[in-house]
Amino acid sequence: MKFLKFLFTSILLALILAACTGKEQAADKLSAKEPNEEAAEEKVVNVYTARHYEADDEVYKKFTEETGIQVNVVKGEAEELIERLKREGESTEADLFITVDGGVLANAKQNDILQSVTSDVIEANVPENLRDADNNWIGMATRARIIAYAKDRVKPDQLSTYDDLTTDKWKGKVLARSSTSLYNQSLLASFIELNGEEKAEQWAAGIANNFARQPDGGDRDQAKAIAAGTGDVAIMNTYYVGLLVNSQESEEAKVGENIGVFFPNQETTGTHINISGIGLTKHAKHPNNATKLIEYITSIEAQEFLSANNYEFPVNSKAKKPELLQSWGEFKAQKLNFDTLGEHNQKAIEIFNKVGWK
Amino acid sequence: MNPDTIKRYIRKEFSGWWMISMIGAAVVLLPVLFIFFSIFTEPNENWYQIQQYLLRNYITNSVILVGLTSLLTAFIGVTLAWLIAAYDFPLKKYFRWGLILPIAIPPYIGAYTYRTMLSYTGVVQSTLRNEFHYQVDPDFLAVSSLRGAVFIFTIFLFPYVYMITRPFLENQSTAYFENARLLGRKPLAIFLKVILPLSRPAIVGGALLTVYEVLSDYGVTSYFGIHTIATAIFQTWFGMYDVDSALKLASWLMVAVIGVFLFERLLRKGRHYHLSTKSRPLTPMKLTGIKAGIATLYCSIIFLLGFLIPVVQLISWSILTFESIWNDSFFTLMTQTLYVATLSTIIILVIVVVVANVCRSQSAFSYTLSKIITSGYSIPGAIIAIGVLALFITLDNWLAPVYSSMGLGKAPLILSMSIAMLIFGNVIRFMATGYNAVEVGYEKMGLKFTEASRTLGLGKTRTFFKVDLPLIKGALFSGFVLTFVEICKELPLALLLRPFNFETLATKTFQYAKDERIHEASISSLLIIAISILSVIVFQMIERREKQ
Repeated sequence: MKFLKFLFTSILLALILAACTGKEQAADKLSAKEPNEEAAEEKVVNVYTARHYEADDEVYKKFTEETGIQVNVVKGEAEELIERLKREGESTEADLFITVDGGVLANAKQNDILQSVTSDVIEANVPENLRDADNNWIGMATRARIIAYAKDRVKPDQLSTYDDLTTDKWKGKVLARSSTSLYNQSLLASFIELNGEEKAEQWAAGIANNFARQPDGGDRDQAKAIAAGTGDVAIMNTYYVGLLVNSQESEEAKVGENIGVFFPNQETTGTHINISGIGLTKHAKHPNNATKLIEYITSIEAQEFLSANNYEFPVNSKAKKPELLQSWGEFKAQKLNFDTLGEHNQKAIEIFNKVGWK
Repeated sequence: MNPDTIKRYIRKEFSGWWMISMIGAAVVLLPVLFIFFSIFTEPNENWYQIQQYLLRNYITNSVILVGLTSLLTAFIGVTLAWLIAAYDFPLKKYFRWGLILPIAIPPYIGAYTYRTMLSYTGVVQSTLRNEFHYQVDPDFLAVSSLRGAVFIFTIFLFPYVYMITRPFLENQSTAYFENARLLGRKPLAIFLKVILPLSRPAIVGGALLTVYEVLSDYGVTSYFGIHTIATAIFQTWFGMYDVDSALKLASWLMVAVIGVFLFERLLRKGRHYHLSTKSRPLTPMKLTGIKAGIATLYCSIIFLLGFLIPVVQLISWSILTFESIWNDSFFTLMTQTLYVATLSTIIILVIVVVVANVCRSQSAFSYTLSKIITSGYSIPGAIIAIGVLALFITLDNWLAPVYSSMGLGKAPLILSMSIAMLIFGNVIRFMATGYNAVEVGYEKMGLKFTEASRTLGLGKTRTFFKVDLPLIKGALFSGFVLTFVEICKELPLALLLRPFNFETLATKTFQYAKDERIHEASISSLLIIAISILSVIVFQMIERREKQ
């Protein structure tokens, strides 16, 4: 019986404790918000982000040090955060929405949860083609979806375009991850926009036809499959090449060193890039602080830091790239309205299903 | 029926207990119902596309996965439980609790550990390549397949069955077992004809947890690229940007799961499992020679695959990345994980003990109610999260006048920006683990003691505290541990329902794993495993003390 009494007292205590902490949080908010709400914004900016990188956290920290503005963060999956923002509606506490991939950013815009940002600083920092047409979101970093090749078996001059990978010379040699990956969906969506649906479908069918094996694993796994000799070329993201080269595990680093990076379509439409962007939420409570944070993230200092630590290309052209990224050389990127990626996303999935790209 | 009988019936069924469990159930049911009712929404264009292209293939995969996994977990769980309960062989003392440990490893962590370990750069292939100059056929070691997923789920989920079945066999089967032996039955026949039928409630309880877990899994299946109903839900949501169709799909999944319950119930109809509690513990028989060797080998293989190998691999990775990854924030992660898990588990147990007590009356209504309450476990966490989110935001909107009278500003989100939302989500999602354990406890003790106590004049509430609760203490403990461990491992709810600046060990693991940085994810993975193991050990210690 003693034990039972103990159990029940502890349950009761726990419940009371829970109730109290709930109250405490409410009280905290009370004291923080009470004095003249309409006047200057509190020194806070609230962020919903789908980017889970430590480099981002570091940038927020530096921002707080410089401006005294506290950055609060909820990290989650992009689509889930969009859903949360939609449901929170006008009462949302979030000021900024950050995510990877133009298609998702376009989706957020379509869901009417973002608003236009106005700032001369931002417009000077980020070129027009790396921003949303209505400034509903601002690019903060890009990655290129390149062709990785086996240095010992493939010469770079054998490579030219994404389309070339569908020709017979690459039969049984091409590697790519599953079509459920957003990266591939956006890639195909960009082809739908640039070359039309029919050509895009031919391309997807051609790649599926040249697969060295059924899609398996993530981008890194494609590089490993090159090293294993399963295939010779892989469609993958530069970011993962950076991670492999810098891996603490020697076998992985070896894989990174044995693959080359080739930027396709340089003579034609340019290499597909994957963009991360920041949007100001429609019902942001701290729009000024939020704009300041975007200005900071796109500044030379923050851009160089992100690029050096996260192997991404800076959006601010004045920012210097780290050595590894420089070694890959300059490249021409696809130029398109990112909204179209969102528009074509579903079509892209349909095509993938149709041509049997798993 | 005369009025008196009706009155008596009402008094018997609709007591204060009934009221409490109804209210508790209603609260818990709201988000579940929110999802369920999307079954009636008007289907859109996407829905037809899903039906046409995706569903058949996805349902087939789900059925195969669930079928094979539950059969294998039941087989491994029961055979191990029987070996440990009925026989003595070398190292048995260690296996007895060691075989619980695989439950500490979340299947998604197990999946990426095995996959990376067996990959081209993993320890297996690189050792063969560099030391023995032997190149393995990559297909041979490809874990990312249906059979790989069955392996992962089986090896990390069989303890559900083992944990529930073993104590049952140890304490309840003696009389039946010894009689059968005296009557000249061979061990295999005893196992098949006596032990299996006897332990059916325990096996079913454990296997159902496996079914739930596999159906709702998104981590392992999406990582391995296997299309199941759960991945279809996410493909609809993330790929077609269509939350409504995703919810609709989830609601059909719920219906299917409740159907499975009702079916199992039907099969069981009329059989009661009230076993004598007077029974002595089973005295194990000593195995010798080759039989003992086989028993030890069997247990060792399972223990190695389900625990030792992945953990050793994770430890070696965490040594590799310790310097760049470790910092003080891991302590905060740990306390936050523990805080949420403890609080959620306690709330779950309180609800479960009450509801399960009411549901002992065996009426069809209470049975259905209990299954709806626990059906949260079969739905992917992210979908539950939408239901919870919808509920909390509505609540906040209702409470807006109250907030503004307190000077909190116009229509702020207070509940939905607090930890309460995450805890509530956990409660709904993991009700089943607590419930199944407690239900087994109630089934085991039967109604005799309760009825005796009621006849002797104690009220329902006093009977509960003086008779029922002491008798189901063991079940309560295993319910606590199971639920606690589950919540520590839980990811999708924590991702979507957390307040600002809140991280748990699982979200930290996800942060790296999503990015294919498996080595970097090892430290937080190990901490999750360590916390789970600790709770298992505490459970064992309490159990032992109780026995004495």
